[in-house]
Amino acid sequence: MKRDRDRGNTEVAAAGGSSTRKLKMWEEQPQPDAGMDELFAVLGYKVKSTDMADVAEKLEQLEMAMGTTTEDGVSLLSTDTVHYNPSDLSGWVDSMLSEFNPTQIGISGHESSPCSSNLIYDDDLRAIPGGAIFSNYDNKRMKLQQPSPAAVPTAVLVDSQEPGVRLVHTLMACAEAVQHNNMKLANALVKHVGVISSFTNRSYEKSCYLFRRGFGRKIYKIYPNDNSLESSYSDALQMHFYESGPYLKFAHFTANQAILEAFSGASKVHVIDFSLKQGMQWPALMQALALRPGGPPSFKLTGIGPPQPDNSDALQEVGWKLARLADTIGVEFEFKGYVANSLADLDVGIFDISPSNDESIAVNSVFELHRLMARPGGIERVLNLIKSLNPEIVTIVEQEANHNGVVFLDRFNEALHYYSTMFDSLETSGLTRPDSQDSLMTEVYLGRQICNVVACEGVERVERHETLAQWRVRMGSAGFDPVHLGSNAFKQASMLLALFGGGDGFRVEENDGCLMLGWHTRPLIATSAWRLRRG
Amino acid sequence: MSMEEKRGKFCINDNMDVLIEILKRLDDRSLGVAACVCRLWCALTRNDALWEHLCFRHLSPPPPDGVRTVVVALGGYRRLYMVCVKPVLSRLRQGKLIRMGTRHEVELSLSLFCVDYYERLLLGGRIGGADSPSSLMFLCKAVNV
Repeated sequence: MKRDRDRGNTEVAAAGGSSTRKLKMWEEQPQPDAGMDELFAVLGYKVKSTDMADVAEKLEQLEMAMGTTTEDGVSLLSTDTVHYNPSDLSGWVDSMLSEFNPTQIGISGHESSPCSSNLIYDDDLRAIPGGAIFSNYDNKRMKLQQPSPAAVPTAVLVDSQEPGVRLVHTLMACAEAVQHNNMKLANALVKHVGVISSFTNRSYEKSCYLFRRGFGRKIYKIYPNDNSLESSYSDALQMHFYESGPYLKFAHFTANQAILEAFSGASKVHVIDFSLKQGMQWPALMQALALRPGGPPSFKLTGIGPPQPDNSDALQEVGWKLARLADTIGVEFEFKGYVANSLADLDVGIFDISPSNDESIAVNSVFELHRLMARPGGIERVLNLIKSLNPEIVTIVEQEANHNGVVFLDRFNEALHYYSTMFDSLETSGLTRPDSQDSLMTEVYLGRQICNVVACEGVERVERHETLAQWRVRMGSAGFDPVHLGSNAFKQASMLLALFGGGDGFRVEENDGCLMLGWHTRPLIATSAWRLRRG
Repeated sequence: MSMEEKRGKFCINDNMDVLIEILKRLDDRSLGVAACVCRLWCALTRNDALWEHLCFRHLSPPPPDGVRTVVVALGGYRRLYMVCVKPVLSRLRQGKLIRMGTRHEVELSLSLFCVDYYERLLLGGRIGGADSPSSLMFLCKAVNV
């Protein structure tokens, strides 16, 4: 909870009787450690968590009562009254209310400092270390011993900012605390996020909840070892993400267009997919190849995937289904699957490439290359591997964000904006009902990424997204030249996005030959194509 | 024969070629209505060639021959129209989007149609799944005419 006593005090002095200010109350979620509310306890007040709603309501009544009594109110409240046990907020409010209701008998008391201090001032959020709070409180107590006639200690709450902004500020304060290794403060702030987030609209709520969970893991040093569970349901998660929005479809369609154009004229084509998952990208390419003027080429697909915990051959199953499709539409098809924990473990020898094969090769990576940055030398190894394959084209689709900064705070800020935009686009485009399975699974899918960015370090942190500009530098120095994606890809992508809701929310942007999918002004995904530098 | 007799003897059902010519010019909704008239009409309106015409009516030049094989294999023109072409056309044309040209619309429809087929393949093994997730649900729910 954030309090700004000094500001509040001057506000109190200036308040007078007129008030069109609203009192914002909130429903406190029952804390698992029931009993006294922790945040109040930090400030020196004892309020039972179960009483919170009650106290809030009474405070509201108090504010209304104070607002309506002007002259009388001032004189009433400025009398010298004794307050017993100022930390009992509930009791104090009761006594104040009874003052305004002469029929009720109670201890009349006024204490302006607890009054003004127990409410939220939202003008701006600052991280409050515990010591500063206590010292503020003491100062105030001194100051308000002599009530001045003009000072009406009204319960004033100025909410000059939307809950969403408050939420963001709290999260940023939390990140700063984590950055400085102040876990106790971070902990308190994280709980506060839970309090505020019940007021916000859904997309904020979702992303902030997920960041809060990531922080929780970081603070308590829970680093879930995802690897075993990951592969078994990460495919399903991505499938739901595929269905919940245009992101993956955009990625697939634009990459396919580049591959199609690179393959024009070839009679044998070979695509190497760095993360096959359910193979959703390839039906559209196969259909385009089938309808190619001059007839389809023979199509070979090599799919790479992680090992499955139950040793089932997920890759082969996908390959078989793609083969059925290929058979249906009349494309000669061959499939090979390779299991690897990391792309860096692959060796060029396994791909069975030889110049005598006379096939055109394309390498495709959707949301996969960034994971290699977790291991030193990983990305270099894979880029060398790609070079030794001598492909016609390399298509890379990556998240357009820098989540790989060295400074935690910067990473966090980037991630917060990126994922908030993502959730905003999901919600506004309204493709799936908020409680549908797709929507929930997408939340899990993105939530895992967020947790990884926030809570993990070292080799565990695999969601090391980088921007297109960074990839350009990397690919350029590795010996690749960019291939422009062309107007066909742009048109197809534009049409695809126009099919989705969200008004004009989704945008395709052409960035020096690469295509970016964005939500309003914020780019989310970037597709780029590359080939080996000649000469 | 007198004029009255000649007129009385004319029955559209005896002149199938004329009937088909007329049906070819209808939109999907009218075809649905026509299907309810009688069993003959119902059978005629289910003829895929009619729907092929509906899909590519405005396309010039007409799509290459290979398209028919692929579309039929993936589920037929009626499904293509209901699942892809109709929603794509209606959404793109009502929006502020500049017309991209029907060739692109057709290509996009075909790609989405293929994705639809593959998804049905993927789900084929699952028993008792909830409402079948399809990435084309965002277009519309397919209505059986």
